[in-house]
Amino acid sequence: MPRIVRDAEIVWEGTTARGSGVVSALSSGSFALPTTIASRVGDPEGKTSPEELLAAAHASCYVTSLGSELARAGTPPERMEVHCRITMDEVGDLGHLVVASAITARGVVPGCDQSAFARAAEDAHLACPLSTLIKASATVTIDAVLEGGS
Amino acid sequence: MADRTANVTWQGSLLEGSGTIDSVGSGAFGPLDVTWTARTEEPGGLTSPEELVAAAHASCFSMALSHALAQAGTPPERLETSATVTFVPGTGITRSALRVRATVPGLDEAGFAEHASAAKEGCPVSKALAAVPEITLDAALA
Repeated sequence: MPRIVRDAEIVWEGTTARGSGVVSALSSGSFALPTTIASRVGDPEGKTSPEELLAAAHASCYVTSLGSELARAGTPPERMEVHCRITMDEVGDLGHLVVASAITARGVVPGCDQSAFARAAEDAHLACPLSTLIKASATVTIDAVLEGGS
Repeated sequence: MADRTANVTWQGSLLEGSGTIDSVGSGAFGPLDVTWTARTEEPGGLTSPEELVAAAHASCFSMALSHALAQAGTPPERLETSATVTFVPGTGITRSALRVRATVPGLDEAGFAEHASAAKEGCPVSKALAAVPEITLDAALA
């Protein structure tokens, strides 16, 4: 399979406490966003953070895995909605760690029932590259709800 | 404790459909479109999970490094960090390569390399990505 490479960059000026950075998507050019340590651990105040970027990565990765699993099962989705919540906490002597990623998936999937949807959601969790990485060191939970299921 | 959230919707099949990162908890970005083609071929202006991981890793590493440098009494003037994330469909994310160029008054290369290496090992995103087979670091003073 081809190797796919994506780059991002941050330019940081000053110390963590008083400085700030701008994080940019170099491969796509699709974003350039300010970030600070205060907004990372406290009120975001409209600024993104590594954990929010990770939440966006996990949600956007998981949704493609879920779509693949549903298609494989013969019930391609019409629409999927995936929400991801990443939690970072201070864990004893280990300092700050990503401790959890909670995925909530909703789908409109003709011909699919709730149990088949739950099975696809679990298979997607096993297949999703980001789930695989994050669950090695944190708790990943999947809550799957079929909307208007038959 | 910090919770950060993102919402994504997808319509249609993997290959022909498309998704949108509709919003994130901070409101800092979104909507950003994502497609399988843009993820695995030319980005064409669209972000991807791997690019977002690269952004998360570069920004986390930089914060950890700037914190360590300040703690050591040599706060940085400027850190320029990139992360290059490699994805092999069917295998997963195989590599994240960090590269930092820094302006740190009063610090020599050896001292900087030590702090950079510790930040690579210790930053929360590095730990969350510990299962990535290869995390590399290229660190130097500017």
